[in-house]
Amino acid sequence: MDCTSCDSTPKRVDRPHTFFAHEQDACPGCGKPIEARVVFRDNDVVHLIHCTACGPQERTVGKDAAAYVQAFLARGVVPEGLVGDHLFKHTTSTCPGCLALVDAQVVIRKGAVFFLKDCTRCGPSEALVSEDAGYYVRAYAFARAGTEPLKFRNEVEHGCPTDCGTCDDHEQHTCLPIVEVTDHCNLECPICIVDNHDSKHIELATFQRIVDGLVEAEGTCESLAISGGEPTSHPKILELIAIATRPEIGRIVLITNGIRLGKDRAFAQQLKEAGVYIGLQLDGFTPEVHEKIRGRDLCAEKTAALAVIAELELPTQLIFVATRGVNDHQIGQVIELFLSAPHFLSLNFQPVAYTGHGGGKFECDPNDRITIPGIIRRAEEQTAGKLRYTDFFPLPCSHPQCVSLTYLLQLEDGSSVPFARFIDFEKYTTLLRSSATLPATAEVEDALQDVIHDVFARQDEIERGPEILVALRRSLDQMFPRKPLSARDAVQVSERQSKSIFLHHYMDRHDFDLERLRKCCHHYPQIDGRIMPACGFNMFHRGAAKGPDTPRAKFGRAPFSLPVIQ
Amino acid sequence: MGGGLCDGRLALVTGGSRGLGRAICKILAREGARIAFTYARSDDDALAAVAELEAAGAVVSAHKVSVLDKPGLRELVQGLDKSAGKIDILVNNAGFGQVVPLALMEEEDWDQMLDTHVKGAFLTTQAVLRTMVREKYGRVINVSSLAGVKMMQAPVHYATAKAALRGFTESLAKEVGRYGITVNCIAPGILDEGVSEHLPPARREEYLRHCAMRRIGTLAEAAEVVAFLASDRNSYMNGATVVVDGAV
Repeated sequence: MDCTSCDSTPKRVDRPHTFFAHEQDACPGCGKPIEARVVFRDNDVVHLIHCTACGPQERTVGKDAAAYVQAFLARGVVPEGLVGDHLFKHTTSTCPGCLALVDAQVVIRKGAVFFLKDCTRCGPSEALVSEDAGYYVRAYAFARAGTEPLKFRNEVEHGCPTDCGTCDDHEQHTCLPIVEVTDHCNLECPICIVDNHDSKHIELATFQRIVDGLVEAEGTCESLAISGGEPTSHPKILELIAIATRPEIGRIVLITNGIRLGKDRAFAQQLKEAGVYIGLQLDGFTPEVHEKIRGRDLCAEKTAALAVIAELELPTQLIFVATRGVNDHQIGQVIELFLSAPHFLSLNFQPVAYTGHGGGKFECDPNDRITIPGIIRRAEEQTAGKLRYTDFFPLPCSHPQCVSLTYLLQLEDGSSVPFARFIDFEKYTTLLRSSATLPATAEVEDALQDVIHDVFARQDEIERGPEILVALRRSLDQMFPRKPLSARDAVQVSERQSKSIFLHHYMDRHDFDLERLRKCCHHYPQIDGRIMPACGFNMFHRGAAKGPDTPRAKFGRAPFSLPVIQ
Repeated sequence: MGGGLCDGRLALVTGGSRGLGRAICKILAREGARIAFTYARSDDDALAAVAELEAAGAVVSAHKVSVLDKPGLRELVQGLDKSAGKIDILVNNAGFGQVVPLALMEEEDWDQMLDTHVKGAFLTTQAVLRTMVREKYGRVINVSSLAGVKMMQAPVHYATAKAALRGFTESLAKEVGRYGITVNCIAPGILDEGVSEHLPPARREEYLRHCAMRRIGTLAEAAEVVAFLASDRNSYMNGATVVVDGAV
């Protein structure tokens, strides 16, 4: 199975395989204890090991991948009557003090999942990684093979994360490139995940090189996100957009705080004409929320931005960074807003990551934070059941602990119904994708046929079954019209059929998990040609994992290391 | 009964009050199926068919509903679901013959012919298929004609409609085979009763000249093939058109 819309392009003898998890092992050559990648190849269970002394090694540890998965999931069942921690597995995390890579015991405690770490320099530490152990363990059942890019930047020399850029041990291609085009920003957010210095904008030629490099590595990209800093502060932002507007790029998403949009309607109109999608940060609706998260009351600015977006019907993704005790009571409100208008195509919840210029020093209790299941639970509680906990599933093409999602089918009366109410996603995992469109593979076609027939057969039992059939029929008519659609039109038509809610948990020094980084698909392309998995870049390269002036890892390389506009 | 090809199954036969439809009901009943049939016109014919079937020991019900009446078909299927259980076997038999050359064919002739044979099969199948998909079991048999398979002297609209049923059969078989549903088709040649009854003598004679068996067939001979296709004995023939013509 492959991820998203790409075909597998195996380059190495150990592939194709399905990456599953990390396990403790030892090098078959020298016996040195080492963490192995567990992969499924054909039906074999194989440990892939990169030993710095002996090079790449592998060991087959099982002949039945399905049985291995079941046994793995069974390890997440806490014995009845157990008091204390139940060890589920091991992984590699970071010491929150010195950022060194350390072993982490992944334990289940009172229904939640924690990392237990013990740094030889800084001592023990703990971190909550999931508020629902059931969700966490079950997510592994969704693991799916990644897709190789056309080109890796680096060969493995030292192993993950040292060789990043990406190296050919990385388990996923770039689903979403995020290009940071400036470090200027008109806000100083207390939860800022990056490290702005108001010092430089990317040059057009450099940006062109980044886009060319992406196309060379990926062939096509469904989306390209332009970020910053605040990208609308780049003096040549429209020219950057023009550079990225090419047939290989499906859509350009401008990640913005919306301040300029609200003030500059002409600019918003230009974005509309350029076919740009807006990624609007919207973390709440009250002054105190904005003040705590974004540094000042932004109610008026956000209202103005939303008004322009509505007036111009700019296709928009809302981005809500959820922080426990600050704005988690407004999760339902942002969902209601999202459902209220057709130009809101998706909603992205991000449990706050305590990394970056602001986030790295944001006051937090790593044992009492919001995680993906906590947001889903609040979504159910705060929408009177419009959304349910069971409507959400791990996204298989990323690491399944990174992203959770639900799709909502648009019904004729303007309301929507979560796909999970009529699709068994545990059976049809192939339909769980980060993509707005489904590839025309035999596997997807089969799954869709089954879904349609299943709703047809059970329409009286399924909630709003007949209405769902009408909507599915409309979708078919619009997506497969008599006159073929261009690729861009096909994406736009697909987007109008459903909405999506994603929950993406970026990592920080507390909950960093090397296993997750291994399959990261949200990447920061750099001006030196590297394509950096986001959380690895934030942890080891940006120099702000614990706030400003955090020392970089020895292998770390800062962003913007080539000529830029000052 | 017991030991029949269709023991315990519930069969719905459209156009079952007369001709080939009635023969199919009789043979399926003989093979152990419970029978529900539809008819569109004559209550007397339907009552006679019921009487004949019941006399032979069949469990049978007759339902006056057009195969073009979508709500009526839905109601029929729901009613049967409650009173008799899930429909296992569907025979799309409803149709009629009409001898008219293209030069004299009215648009309404065309529409009526295509609607009854093709749209009727579509609407009835769609109404019944829901249950079959859910149950992961079903047998659908469409009654086509040799005129839909071979070049024959037959009215153009009739040949078109019967040929369409072959396409319907093949495409539907592909679409729902994964649910344990087989869809097949029979293509009878000229039979001794039913729509062949009023054929001009010259056509009948020409048929006999080309038929290896030198005789026309019987309704029962065609119905026997339907019974096999409707049974579990046929577990792998799917999307097929079985020609029952004595070798023309």
